[in-house]
Amino acid sequence: MRGIGLNIPKVDALDKVLGTSMYGEDFSFSNLLHLKVVRSRIPHAKVVGIETGEALKVTGVERIFTAKDIPGNNRIGVIQKDQPVLVSDRVRRVGDPIALVAAKTIEGAEEACEKVKVIYEELPFVKTPEEALRPFAPPIHEKGNLLIEFNLIKGDIQVGFKEAEIIIEKTYTTTWVDHAYLEPDGGVAFWDEKGRLTVICPTQNVHYDQREVASLLNLPIEKVRIIQPTTGGAFGGRLDVTVQCFLALAAFHLKRPVRLLYTHEEVFQVISKRHPLKIHYRSGARKDGRLVAVEVDILGDTGAYASYGTTVAVRSAIHATGPYEVPHVKIRSRMAYTNNPWSGAMRGFGVPQIAFAHESQMDLLAQALKMDPLEIRKINALQVGGETATGQLLRASVGIRKTLREIERWRNKISLSKFDPERPFLRRGIGIGSMWYGIGNTGIANPSTAQIELSPKGEIKLYIGVADIGQGSDTALLQIASEALAVEIKEIQLIRADTSNTTDAGSTSASRQTYITGNAILKAIENLKKEVLKEASFLLHEEEGDLFVEEGFVKHRQKFCIALPIQEVARRTGRTIRGEGYFDPETTKLDPKTGQGSPYATYAFATHLAEVEVDIETGKVRVLRVIATHDVGRAIHPKNVIGQIIGGVAMGVGFALMEEYIPGQTISFLNYLIPTSKDVPEVIPILVEDQEPSGPFGAKGVGEPALIPSAPAILNAIADAIGERIYHLPAKLERVLEAVQKSKSD
Amino acid sequence: MIPTFEYKVPRTLTEACDLLWQYGDRAKVIAGGTDLVISLRNGLIKPELLIDITHLPELRRIEERNDSVSIGGSVTHSEIVSSLIVQTYGRILSEASSQVGSPQIRNLGTLGGNIVNASPAADTVPPLMVLEAKAKILSKEGEKEIPVSSLFRGPYQSALQPHEILVSISFKKLGQDMKGSLIRLARREGMAISRMSIAVILQKKGDLIEDIRISIGAVTPIPNRMKEAESLLKHQRYDTDLLKMASEKVSSEMILQTGIRASTPYKKPVVEALVERAIRRAFGDTQ
Repeated sequence: MRGIGLNIPKVDALDKVLGTSMYGEDFSFSNLLHLKVVRSRIPHAKVVGIETGEALKVTGVERIFTAKDIPGNNRIGVIQKDQPVLVSDRVRRVGDPIALVAAKTIEGAEEACEKVKVIYEELPFVKTPEEALRPFAPPIHEKGNLLIEFNLIKGDIQVGFKEAEIIIEKTYTTTWVDHAYLEPDGGVAFWDEKGRLTVICPTQNVHYDQREVASLLNLPIEKVRIIQPTTGGAFGGRLDVTVQCFLALAAFHLKRPVRLLYTHEEVFQVISKRHPLKIHYRSGARKDGRLVAVEVDILGDTGAYASYGTTVAVRSAIHATGPYEVPHVKIRSRMAYTNNPWSGAMRGFGVPQIAFAHESQMDLLAQALKMDPLEIRKINALQVGGETATGQLLRASVGIRKTLREIERWRNKISLSKFDPERPFLRRGIGIGSMWYGIGNTGIANPSTAQIELSPKGEIKLYIGVADIGQGSDTALLQIASEALAVEIKEIQLIRADTSNTTDAGSTSASRQTYITGNAILKAIENLKKEVLKEASFLLHEEEGDLFVEEGFVKHRQKFCIALPIQEVARRTGRTIRGEGYFDPETTKLDPKTGQGSPYATYAFATHLAEVEVDIETGKVRVLRVIATHDVGRAIHPKNVIGQIIGGVAMGVGFALMEEYIPGQTISFLNYLIPTSKDVPEVIPILVEDQEPSGPFGAKGVGEPALIPSAPAILNAIADAIGERIYHLPAKLERVLEAVQKSKSD
Repeated sequence: MIPTFEYKVPRTLTEACDLLWQYGDRAKVIAGGTDLVISLRNGLIKPELLIDITHLPELRRIEERNDSVSIGGSVTHSEIVSSLIVQTYGRILSEASSQVGSPQIRNLGTLGGNIVNASPAADTVPPLMVLEAKAKILSKEGEKEIPVSSLFRGPYQSALQPHEILVSISFKKLGQDMKGSLIRLARREGMAISRMSIAVILQKKGDLIEDIRISIGAVTPIPNRMKEAESLLKHQRYDTDLLKMASEKVSSEMILQTGIRASTPYKKPVVEALVERAIRRAFGDTQ
């Protein structure tokens, strides 16, 4: 193996260490104008007037844009186009954009923003999804407040509960969580020398951005160019448009370069959040621990706009059983509009929320049945030949049992005492959390494309539309190409995430790029090799069928003296040889009534074990250690996979214990707490490689799975430590103390 | 955006006092700036002049005098943490400084700033209260020495006059028989504002509490000594029931000062538990 499974330095590491990477805000022009956005300070109102007169008088102000300046479609959105770039008639949330100021200085732009006068007619606003769905609730969009209702039905739920000898029924809630990426959104836009309106800013999908900008400005798609620079994290927050449309609109009219940089406060206020979900969960099992019925009702808050609300509703429903085989399933999942901050994509698309519920239920069942929590998971875990809640037959790479076995091995070695004689106010406990996660988009085509080229100069170029947001796709995909071509990574030039030079790879989300684009690259290389053989046959006057490519050389089946490097073929022909690749995972559309079908081509599996220490007098929880086992199919770059796992655990600690965006209160990192290095426990990552036959060299994905099992494991460990369970995230001081008090009074 | 201002770096204390006399509340003193710069950026203050006092030698020293320790107003938390003098004679203060913010904040933030900013959650204040620290204050009008406890008017309101400079803080060296303990509770381990802190200094004689000083931070508008609890414990035999009674005195005092709030059901049992814990530790009782 030349590239796969090797811990080579990440290809972007050197520039990052040297500080030479170019982020969105590092691009500059001498005649640059600065942009600032005027935003709504109230959650729901008709906009009756926008007065810009006073603002235009501020020194250095060049122009102020409103919805009237938009030549094309003033509606964006990944699935439903319901979000205005600049509000024309109605604000639906605090932070809705109303006007865009362009000025010579940032100070001038800021001052002008203060002076833009917006005249509102306030409307009653909706604070909860329950309220939103009541009859006569104030409608937030014309079509009503219900964004989606998705139903999943398998077997007969009544039969299931009749068979059940134990039933557990509980309600779980989660709240808004911020992505907390460190690089604030920001970038530049300008007309390039070829007359293309160019936007450079962080993103997870350049081709989606290109379509939105072209539609906004009514430009032919090829007149818009989006380039993704080095990006400082995303976690789903950059799947929706952030600064792209503002930059493009201003540059379009002003015909000069513009720059827009959000402050951290602005990022917290205006970027989407993780969907708060209310999950009513009822599970039934037989005395032997076998799950027989799962009935779940999910209600989510999508906030003012749809964004990925539909995806989260569907994905959380599909994953609601957890990685277990359940014969009778009934799930209803709804998402409602409110005037709260808008929710969008965030690492896991609803699965971290639902995993908290299904894993709490598994422990409650185990407790009621006096079973080992590991045992009940082993009894029910999916396996090859098993069937998911959507009726999908799993054919290969179902590593959940392997992860459970690894965890069992570790658990047998743990000697954690519940009490500390030196500190009688401490209680310790351990907990387990498992998960499954479908790789790629849900039940829809989500292809990727790639091209590979050999130039007459002997250069090898790989073109992919993939945005590397720090997770390491550049490195992993180069490793795949290097392996398949049998050339060193340094010999391959990577051209990526630039709409003018690359084709659509879909978004960097749903843990899909290694699997899907990795396969597209393999296809491109296969096609390149065919082209090389054609050319070689002509050059060498040999039958094409006698030639083959091995280890980067064209060889002959009989004449062993023939060994021509593939680069040499391109050199000799004097032409560029090109291979195109396309891959779309094998999925089926879900039945609209029952939700049955095969939504994903493959699934990742994982189990975490957390050890915690709870101060029963203050409610303070310390996570001491997390053992994280992951079935990733095949680790293309093991160290990078481990990096993802450790990062996922860190984020999971935040989700479990402290992260909570409170509308109207949360300002920025000042009072939005994420774990620091002192809060992150020791992590023991364990890779289980149950290879996926359809994956590139057996790989699946790990980006989101890394996060999902941590919070459930931590919450189960807290319950183990204090003897009482917490049903609402985050498990902050007050909630933990309350649970302790409850356990004492019981 | 930070508004524009003049910036002066006086070389002598007299020069600094002159500037402050001249500008009064149109000027602000800057040392570490870890609180001041945030207020500037948020537009909460718009001073004409910033006076940088970090180059005044009198404010940069940690000194051991006969029976006391003096720390200059612009000594940083990091410097306090690494000072052997403070570690030896006022360990509770080095502990408090070591818990401030992050390494970056500790490298810039100063003891004087922590006091003058008058945050109810200031980490060093409860230890200074139990150390019975005094503040040396200088202005054109002269020099005075007052208890640190008299420097607070309300949350984020210092009693220091605009023309005054906090030159140094001093406290009596703690005797061998005096043990301090500090407990800090926050929502996370690093970079977190204190949710509650308890500082205790206890003088022990056999199983007798000879003397005790208790102060709590972050849960009252201004720092206080818990006098009722102190007098309940003073000269008494160490006893868990007595401890419980004392801790209830502390929580009543807290509620008296803040009124019943949404957070009270949480804070009351926690402050009681942590006061008991802090006294136990200071007494050397690990149970």
